[in-house]
Amino acid sequence: MTSKTSSAVTFLPSRLQSMLRTQEGVLLVLLVVIVVALSLLSDRFLTVNNLLNQTRLLTETALLALPMTLIIISGGIDLSVGSMLAWSAVMLGFSWQLLGLPLPLAVLVCLLTGVVGGAINGLLIAYVRVPPLIATLATLAIYRGFSFGISQARSARGFPEEFAFWGQGQIGPFPTQFVILAALIVAAHLLLSRTGFGRWVYAIGNNELAARYSGIPVERVKFTLYTLSGLMAGLAAFIFTSRVTTTRADAATGLELDVIAAVVLGGTSIFGGSGSIIGTVLGLVIITLLRNGLLLTGVKGDATFMVIGIVLILAVLVNNLVRRR
Amino acid sequence: MAVPIIELREISKAFPGVQALDRVSFEVREGEVHALLGENGAGKSTLIKILTGAHQPDSGTILLRGQPITIPDTRQGLKLGIAAIYQELSLYPDLTVAENIFMGHQPSNRFGMVDWRQMQQRARALLHELDADDLDVTRPVRGLSVGNQQRVEIAKALSHDARILIMDEPTAALTQHDVERLFEIVRRLRARGVAIIYITHRLEEVFLLADRVTVLRDGRVVGTTLEVSQTNQAELVKMMVGRTLDTLFPKDPAIPGEVVLEVRNLSYGRTTRNVSFTLRRGEIVGLAGLVGAGRSELAQVLFGITPAQSGTILVEGKEVRIRNPREAMALGIAYVPEDRKLQGLLLPMSVRENTTLAVLRQLLRYGFVDHHAESRLTQEYVDRLQIRTPSLMQQVANLSGGNQQKVVLAKWLAAKPRVLILDEPTRGIDVGAKAEIHRLMNALAHQGMAILMISSELPEVMGMSDRILVMRQGSIVAELDRQSASQEAVIAAAMGASELHLV
Repeated sequence: MTSKTSSAVTFLPSRLQSMLRTQEGVLLVLLVVIVVALSLLSDRFLTVNNLLNQTRLLTETALLALPMTLIIISGGIDLSVGSMLAWSAVMLGFSWQLLGLPLPLAVLVCLLTGVVGGAINGLLIAYVRVPPLIATLATLAIYRGFSFGISQARSARGFPEEFAFWGQGQIGPFPTQFVILAALIVAAHLLLSRTGFGRWVYAIGNNELAARYSGIPVERVKFTLYTLSGLMAGLAAFIFTSRVTTTRADAATGLELDVIAAVVLGGTSIFGGSGSIIGTVLGLVIITLLRNGLLLTGVKGDATFMVIGIVLILAVLVNNLVRRR
Repeated sequence: MAVPIIELREISKAFPGVQALDRVSFEVREGEVHALLGENGAGKSTLIKILTGAHQPDSGTILLRGQPITIPDTRQGLKLGIAAIYQELSLYPDLTVAENIFMGHQPSNRFGMVDWRQMQQRARALLHELDADDLDVTRPVRGLSVGNQQRVEIAKALSHDARILIMDEPTAALTQHDVERLFEIVRRLRARGVAIIYITHRLEEVFLLADRVTVLRDGRVVGTTLEVSQTNQAELVKMMVGRTLDTLFPKDPAIPGEVVLEVRNLSYGRTTRNVSFTLRRGEIVGLAGLVGAGRSELAQVLFGITPAQSGTILVEGKEVRIRNPREAMALGIAYVPEDRKLQGLLLPMSVRENTTLAVLRQLLRYGFVDHHAESRLTQEYVDRLQIRTPSLMQQVANLSGGNQQKVVLAKWLAAKPRVLILDEPTRGIDVGAKAEIHRLMNALAHQGMAILMISSELPEVMGMSDRILVMRQGSIVAELDRQSASQEAVIAAAMGASELHLV
């Protein structure tokens, strides 16, 4: 069997080649290149402090990217995550400051708001059969409307000091939210790759009809996914509020784009059926480090966006090139 | 003897892990129907793809009218007059007949705009040559019968002035009437000097239609090209499978047990009307009828995909409700659907993931999938059904049609059903795999499974069934037992006696 190896990358050692065959491999190589390049450009980049600090900024996007990975693998999409985050955050501030609920209860309201928002998406998509793109584009607008309506464009502030623990505090050497995120990454990874539910998600993304014909409760799986996405938006809203100590109706505007970019950079097929949590995490890390590193080396914010866009396309290109043969 | 219009010399082509074609030589003459036979995976598809330019050979030469050529892509292939009509038709359902025929090379006027009038005229002329004047060129393709869609495909090939026409299992999805019209068209094209490469699994068609026949097995030409008049079915089957098949339909008479499934006055919309029947342990009941008679629709009602709107279903004497596939599965009903790629398989996923999909819940340990148990179960069915796959982790998309069908069967056998509904279980698969599936059905019935088999292939219905139910327009119109059934009786019932004289 001597198939032609006329690929453009024959000069690479075979270990590296087989690694580049997966999107995760491409990203890992990319990550190393970025870290090396940025640490040469700025001596403040590769420091424990800076890197740990970055996880604070990454957490909210990451919390949303976890369920988004599952949703995109299932062949759907959730555009409303940014709006759900804002709505949940506003509900936190509203119920604490205006309704006078105790703070833990207000946090519960915040999480529940996310769940309700997600469940509405889930109902629309799984049972009313509105295409996910349209359903969540609509709720993106609606939930943002709720945020402005409820907050009346006022922001809640003046949270007690202990509340800052979740967004600014530390557990040992690690930022609080990093610990929470790490636990949830492991949980999401296990859910997707090891459980029956995870298998169903892939099955639905690959062939929804065949999944249905195999007795998979397609509607229930979809409903669960979007509700989960809402719950994570609620959790992200809580941590976000604790970090910035204020709740504003225009919080997290456009965040859904960052989330989707990270998931897609992580190798999840936008058409559904394939992808992994590990890929998404690598995608997130790359985007965050690029942003931070370029900032430290003095590149302006707008240029950073462009670099991230180019990296997104490059990563997919390299992967396509290697996979072709 | 005339120079062949196209000739392949010593063509080889390898894909990772398989030698798809191994020094294959093959030629077709003008005005000839050349049948190409072989089991799935024998290399027929690769050969077609090389001829149309979709694949490039690793070595060997292609000669067009004696001149060596290369066919870099399918567009160039069409320019050289080589067109293919695939089993799965590739029309745009929402475009009109004329637009489909001229897709990619619409006649245009001097302003560079599509010349609709000319397009429709030429489309009509092309269809006229196919004796299909009844087809309205301005209506969308959606809703046309499979036979008519195929005529559109053929007209499309002719619009490129194809001199070499490759037909890949053109009769697989056709009704008997359409098959005869297709044969007529093929003979017409042959008379006009078109060279036709005709791929089929139905041996009788070779003798009805072809002048010469070439058999492929494991990527090689078996023996040499034969004149059809010099050979017979038994010889061809032997060449294809490399062994003699004792019988194609090994059905033993059943010893039917108690009633497992009873259905009374089941209705759903217009497609299932007042259907009543019973199914006993250990018997195979054939469900015959024309395409569109409502057989698959009945199966989908029984499996809960389109739950019954009225009527009663009894499983082992107890009245039950089936509102979705899960409830059907819980009652021990399994459905192997008609279209394995669309309804049966997760093509990009592995043999293992496909096999265990319906029973995944039983393979969980503390909520996690037990991969060892999963592999054990899959291996059991791979062995039992003789699924030919390099590994359990192989993507199902890379398996041949027969092995894909076995994976779907494995998925449902793993669920250990009491009632197995098989919808066209051997459509589009090769003789060898077909015989294996028939043997398996026989064995399952022996073990006490009740099997309801939908099939459009009359010999299969006659050969495998203990009883035959015939459907027409959503109702069961006849029930025949093994002894009294004849092909004529089934056809008469399926068509309605009054319509019979029209054919």
